[in-house]
Amino acid sequence: MKTFEEKFTAWIDDQLSDAERAQFEAALPDRPAADAEKEQAHKLGAFLKEQLKTRAMANEEFFHHQLRGRIAREKADESETQSLPDLRTTWWSIRRLLWAGVTSLAIFVVCTFFVVREKQTQDQSQYLSQILNARVDPAVSPDATVSIFQTKEDRVTVLWVDGLKSLPSDYAAK
Amino acid sequence: MFRFLLVAGAGILFSNPVVTTATAAEHVWSGLVVATNVAKPEPPPAELHRLDRTLRATFGYNQFELIGQARKKLVNGNEDWMASSKHFALHVDAQGESAEGYRLNLQLFQDKTLLVETEAKLNKSSPLVIKGPQIGAGQLLLLLVIQ
Repeated sequence: MKTFEEKFTAWIDDQLSDAERAQFEAALPDRPAADAEKEQAHKLGAFLKEQLKTRAMANEEFFHHQLRGRIAREKADESETQSLPDLRTTWWSIRRLLWAGVTSLAIFVVCTFFVVREKQTQDQSQYLSQILNARVDPAVSPDATVSIFQTKEDRVTVLWVDGLKSLPSDYAAK
Repeated sequence: MFRFLLVAGAGILFSNPVVTTATAAEHVWSGLVVATNVAKPEPPPAELHRLDRTLRATFGYNQFELIGQARKKLVNGNEDWMASSKHFALHVDAQGESAEGYRLNLQLFQDKTLLVETEAKLNKSSPLVIKGPQIGAGQLLLLLVIQ
């Protein structure tokens, strides 16, 4: 059900059917005042249409050229930014700096460990007696063999000669 | 880790002075020992007290009897001497000293027969033992120790 205001607006805009218009006009309390208001509304509408009419652009081609150029430049800038990311922010993030630091420290510790261990091994060998060479006369002891080892306790260096001729117990005399 | 590095650094710092003092003028004790297994072993000679346990474990005997010995003071590291018993003689010819110890030429004679000849570097902190021939049920051992 349309209200009076809606019917009045539709009447001014000539949107009512003939039957509706006849019924609405019959129901108007002051018909001349309503006709005057309708005429004023039509005049106002015509005035606004005339004032708000789109003005023709005098330099339309130049404007379009400028606009297309600007769009092209912006697209070019955008694609350049995407293809070349900011190295400073991608490679030297806090996390990567942290990892680089930890990795460097780990490499340093490992190298130090091996260097110190090698040095200790060299130092230990300096404290051990060494057999440089050993000879057994093959004419006297043809089956003799020699081997060299160090005992864990007391750091004793042993030249172990096997195959020498066994002697009777009186050779133990002082 | 810091403690480990500190200890390692201290070890490196103090290692050279230790070696240097080890090669100063010192006595070298050389001995001919007969090792045997007996029911009631006698205590080893004083020179072998420190090595008694190692000798037992290494050679499997429980008694060590000294049959010959010599103690030589090395002044310039080029001395030579002899440790001998009735039938054996150990000739020691020192041929200079270095940071690693004395370089020695060793010859073991049985009467006048050369049984074994060897060249060795003798360090103060590491005695040298040579296993000689079997004698009866025992074993001849030659020992060299810097004292």
